[in-house]
Amino acid sequence: MNGGRRRVDLESRGGRMALWFLAPTAAVLLLVVAYPFFYNVGMSFTNWNMFHFRDPAFNGLTNYAKLVREPEFLRVFLRTFLWTGVNLVFHVTLGVGAALLLNRRLPGRPLYRALLILPWAMPQYISALTWRGMFNLEYGSVNLLLGKLGLGAVGWLSGEWTAFAAATITNIWLGFPFIMVVALGGLQSIPEELYEAARIDGAGAWRRFTAITLPMLRPVLTPAIVLGTIWTFNNLNVIWLVTKQGEPGDKSHILVTYVYKAAFTYYRYGYAAAFSVFIFLTLFGIVKIYQRAADREAF
Amino acid sequence: MNRPCPHRIAPFVACLSLLATAGGCGRVDRADQVVIWEQMDPRERTLLERHIGEFQAAHPEYADIRISRANYNTEDLRTQFQTAAMAMGGPNLVYGPSDQVGPFVIMDLILPLDELLPPEVLARFDPSGLPTLEGHVWGLPDQVGNHLTLVANRAHVDAIPEDADAWVAQLRRLTVDRDGDGKPEIYGVVFDRIEPFFLVPWLGGFGGWVMDAQANPTLDSQGMIDALTFLKGLVEAGVMPRECDYQLADTLFKEGRAAYIVNGPWSWDGYRQAGVDIELGLLPRIPATGLWPSPMTAAKCYSVNRYTHPKSLPATLALLRWLTSPEVQTDLARELAVLPGDIEVRADPQLVADPLLAASRRQVDHGRIMPIVSEMRAIWDAMRPAYQACLSGELTPEAAAARMQERAVRLIAEMRE
Repeated sequence: MNGGRRRVDLESRGGRMALWFLAPTAAVLLLVVAYPFFYNVGMSFTNWNMFHFRDPAFNGLTNYAKLVREPEFLRVFLRTFLWTGVNLVFHVTLGVGAALLLNRRLPGRPLYRALLILPWAMPQYISALTWRGMFNLEYGSVNLLLGKLGLGAVGWLSGEWTAFAAATITNIWLGFPFIMVVALGGLQSIPEELYEAARIDGAGAWRRFTAITLPMLRPVLTPAIVLGTIWTFNNLNVIWLVTKQGEPGDKSHILVTYVYKAAFTYYRYGYAAAFSVFIFLTLFGIVKIYQRAADREAF
Repeated sequence: MNRPCPHRIAPFVACLSLLATAGGCGRVDRADQVVIWEQMDPRERTLLERHIGEFQAAHPEYADIRISRANYNTEDLRTQFQTAAMAMGGPNLVYGPSDQVGPFVIMDLILPLDELLPPEVLARFDPSGLPTLEGHVWGLPDQVGNHLTLVANRAHVDAIPEDADAWVAQLRRLTVDRDGDGKPEIYGVVFDRIEPFFLVPWLGGFGGWVMDAQANPTLDSQGMIDALTFLKGLVEAGVMPRECDYQLADTLFKEGRAAYIVNGPWSWDGYRQAGVDIELGLLPRIPATGLWPSPMTAAKCYSVNRYTHPKSLPATLALLRWLTSPEVQTDLARELAVLPGDIEVRADPQLVADPLLAASRRQVDHGRIMPIVSEMRAIWDAMRPAYQACLSGELTPEAAAARMQERAVRLIAEMRE
């Protein structure tokens, strides 16, 4: 009886101690995440803009109503999903593919690994601007390459969808190494015995991949894909820099670049705050759907 | 020996962690420093460092004041300053083109200089170079102009025509496509065809302008249609690249692959450094209207943050006066070929005799002051997409002008709501 009481006592002491150790992190998180978040939510219900910079007034749901009535809203919203979807498909396919190759015994494997990680290691800002130069109609290396292949030059940055494609190609190049690194770590933790047993049972390469590799990778890939979704959905840099702030004619925006422009070009702070809340809720919904799907598959 | 219980020391560890975090932020007393945020080019920055050093040497009374500067690009400077000043922070001095003053004034982020400086200081400056709004002066310039002009590479150009028709004919002659692949080795003219800032001189040349005196957009005009038709004609004639942003235009000109570039004073020193033998000329007169193209002119000026610490305000103002003093402006004019804002410095015989500065001044005389009202931002953004669409052939000049106007009206309404 005494022993049990002592254990409970120790557990509660341990719990308290853990709470104390967590306190600094919690305090910092409250300060840098929770406070700005709720401040932003509050801002979204005001008419805060350049002309009401000092005296913003409560305007209820006006900003949210404006947001859904915005003629561009649906296009930007759908483009954001397309952007996220296309990028993720390529990130995962190329990332896992490269990881599978690097997991084999290849001559010069460390060199390939270093080269494939390079896009991820380079500052995004520099990569995006370099790619922008490469997409120039007359002097860009992409069109020069197309010319060598006998294909015509593409006005990458002058069309709505070509500019979007240029930004997507840039982001695919930037993003797949992350999935590759994660998948490579996962692959190296799969016991070789499982493959040997499968081979003895007569399983082919595809069967081994679908029955062993993919299920064993799922625990590491799921959080990586969730993170990748959030990062891609909220990737301001690539669209902003490659398409030069949503060019041509603001037609290549995704939600975050659109909201950034509303806030910092047009000073529509209240409206931009409402937009940010909408983006948060959308992402929250996506993550919840992912989690449920992952949980269902786990059981 | 008693070992300390972990659960007893936990609160101390937590407090120490927080203190360490706070300490890591590195508190600097704003009373003891003067910070400048600027958007200068590398050469300008080097000169600024030198001028700050000279100020410190000449003012031992401010020896305990630490002076520092941070560089941003123009857009970042504006947004960073707004954000910092919203939180009652930011630099003491913010330096940039005078059009950023408009939003800063509306948001009440900067101080009126006519209430801080003696009238004789302000009287030294050309009034057209002083950003004035609501009856107050909000910035002190170290240079004026910031205007576009025609820059010729003398290796390709013998004489700069003053008539647009003759100029276009010359551009056709100067454009060289040796291998006939449709991609000329030398272009007649290059300029940034993304930013509508480069459209504005021609708009003025065809008798149009961006807004009226009440800051209402006037983009759907015959002047705009004619200006767009003129530029579209240059693209279709193949005398300029089909896709050309600022960096590409700059590179082509520096490499000697363009006979002319349309660019501003910030670029001339770079061309000289790159070994290009340049000559400035007026953007050529439009025969149909008899008007000269009118680039927008603006000052580059320092403004004082409203949230400057009162204790550092005297040092801030002293530094402001130093950085806009006749000596510094003379130095900038000599080193960078920029026009001084100080009336007496402008009359300096040595500067008057400088051919680059003389040509620059002629262009300024044909320029128009950039409105410093906040609506300009909406105007630029309304012009940009339609301008690009027109030059790439997606829109006719008439449709582009109408679309600019419609968008500008909508954006301004949204900004004001």
